[in-house]
Amino acid sequence: MPSTYSVMDMGLVDYGGGPAHEHGSGTRSVADLTGPQSGEPDVAVDLDARKESFELAGGERVDGYTLNGTSPGPALEVHQGDLVQVTLTNVDVPDGVTLHWHGLDVPNAEDGVAGVTQDAVLPGEEHVYRFVAEDAGTYWYHSHQVSHAQVRGGLFGTLVVLPAEALPETDLVAAVHNYADRRTLNGSTGITSAAAADGEPVRVRLVNTDNGPLRAWVSGSTYRVVAVDGRDVHEPTDLRDEGVIVTAGGRIDLVVTAPARVDTGGGTALVVGPRGTRVEGRPEPPEQVDLLSYGSPAALPFDPDDADRRFTYDMGRRVGLVDGKPGFFWTINGRLFPDVPMFHVAEGDVVRMTISNHSGDVHPMHLHGHHAVVISRDGEPATGSPWWVDSLNVEDGETYEIAFVADNPGIWMDHCHNLDHARDGLVAHLAYAGVTEPYRVGGRADNAPE
Amino acid sequence: MKQTYRVVSALIALGVIVQAAAIAFGWFDAILQVEDGAVIDENYDGNAGHALHGIVGMNVMPLLGLILLIVSFFAARTVPGARKWGGIVFGLIVLQIALAILTYILSASLIGALHGINALVLFGAAVKAHLLTRTAVGAAGAPQQGTSVAV
Repeated sequence: MPSTYSVMDMGLVDYGGGPAHEHGSGTRSVADLTGPQSGEPDVAVDLDARKESFELAGGERVDGYTLNGTSPGPALEVHQGDLVQVTLTNVDVPDGVTLHWHGLDVPNAEDGVAGVTQDAVLPGEEHVYRFVAEDAGTYWYHSHQVSHAQVRGGLFGTLVVLPAEALPETDLVAAVHNYADRRTLNGSTGITSAAAADGEPVRVRLVNTDNGPLRAWVSGSTYRVVAVDGRDVHEPTDLRDEGVIVTAGGRIDLVVTAPARVDTGGGTALVVGPRGTRVEGRPEPPEQVDLLSYGSPAALPFDPDDADRRFTYDMGRRVGLVDGKPGFFWTINGRLFPDVPMFHVAEGDVVRMTISNHSGDVHPMHLHGHHAVVISRDGEPATGSPWWVDSLNVEDGETYEIAFVADNPGIWMDHCHNLDHARDGLVAHLAYAGVTEPYRVGGRADNAPE
Repeated sequence: MKQTYRVVSALIALGVIVQAAAIAFGWFDAILQVEDGAVIDENYDGNAGHALHGIVGMNVMPLLGLILLIVSFFAARTVPGARKWGGIVFGLIVLQIALAILTYILSASLIGALHGINALVLFGAAVKAHLLTRTAVGAAGAPQQGTSVAV
């Protein structure tokens, strides 16, 4: 690999059976696909990134990264329709930083991927993100520069977009993260308590900021899965025995009835109830709710059977050479990085993608800038609520079919959110016809998105 | 070349010992960490023992195996069986890596057990290769071509 390159020069152009167009040329630059550049922001936030050692709520010291002096960074809360302006200042992170709004389908130039949608913000520099929070739901933000190290080290926070009308429940965020191999919930090891009256419904927004699937389960109450990846579940039903899996990078909103306890593994749990409430945690259940059949069906806003393009994203693993170094590498469609696919679409296309995994490990697949609906798993069609995802847990041996509308022009990453896997080449891109790429991986800012 | 063959085969045997020690340290340490509250899952990067095992296993050992194989062709003139045992040692190193990789690809821990057994076989083969040079030294006492001393 050259030290500086454009992602557009990378990979194998794939038109997915749709009409071809010129690759990487056009009249629209990624840099111009911004959010609203004028207008008074409804929410303006300054986030200062530092590389430093900090203390977890339990007293453990961690060498990592902070935003405004804390990790997790500030829990942002905005309202649907707000114009959000975030000024990111890199105080002293030597490798540079960015902020990616994970799950929020922002315009391409606001997506915060170093070397793809912007240059990394170097020490002493700042970058302003401006976007409209169009969809209510649970999201998070994190650096997408040397992300395998920076996210692990704490350069992230949560972002909740509240709907226009107030929610009927008490609203809590539970961001789960492993710092130095210690499991934490909102930065605290052990049990975290939150006050709620007996019988009160409480929404717990689980955010998995780690590299592996998070298993969570509820004790003391029945519960419902009311939203997945910032999209409401249609007619969720009561659950009791099963747990849930939150894929790496994914979010699941539960509604429990206080008093209740949500366990997130490694000794962490969130207990909601009147002050002083103790809820005994039951052991982790062997079964998890299957979102393929949970809730009831609803009409989709597009017809996935009328696809303009069909892509294959087939993950394996083999021995080979990357940059002359031997190793045991991930493959996409049988090829090693950088010979990975560049999925080409035109604005308005209905796109179907078959994602399969026979690599021996689970992969949380994250498509930037879009939400896709799950059509089937291992040939079994989805029969529950429309299951919208931006982050999808693809276990070894599984095959998912997803579909989405190409409605957000730009150059988007489509990668594994086990960020160590992404660093090791499990990365592809989605490119729109007529969009050009001004940024480079490497270069002056040493852009290294993974 | 005989000396090189002798040293490299010894290094491979030593490498197996280092590997056994590194991985035992790695997992004992991990267990102690877990007892102290650590979580080992997809996020776990391993410790110094795991890192050493990976570097020695994926880089140092195959390199040593390759050197031994190449040297064996030159040493064969003075060390009877050098090529055969050089080949066996190299093959066992390749098999050792293949067993580790297959364990991951097939998610099959039983193949990992074979990795442990094959390590002992590799150790034995490396020692055998090393001892060939001694036999050769013994044979050197008998009248042979002068070249055996030169190298």
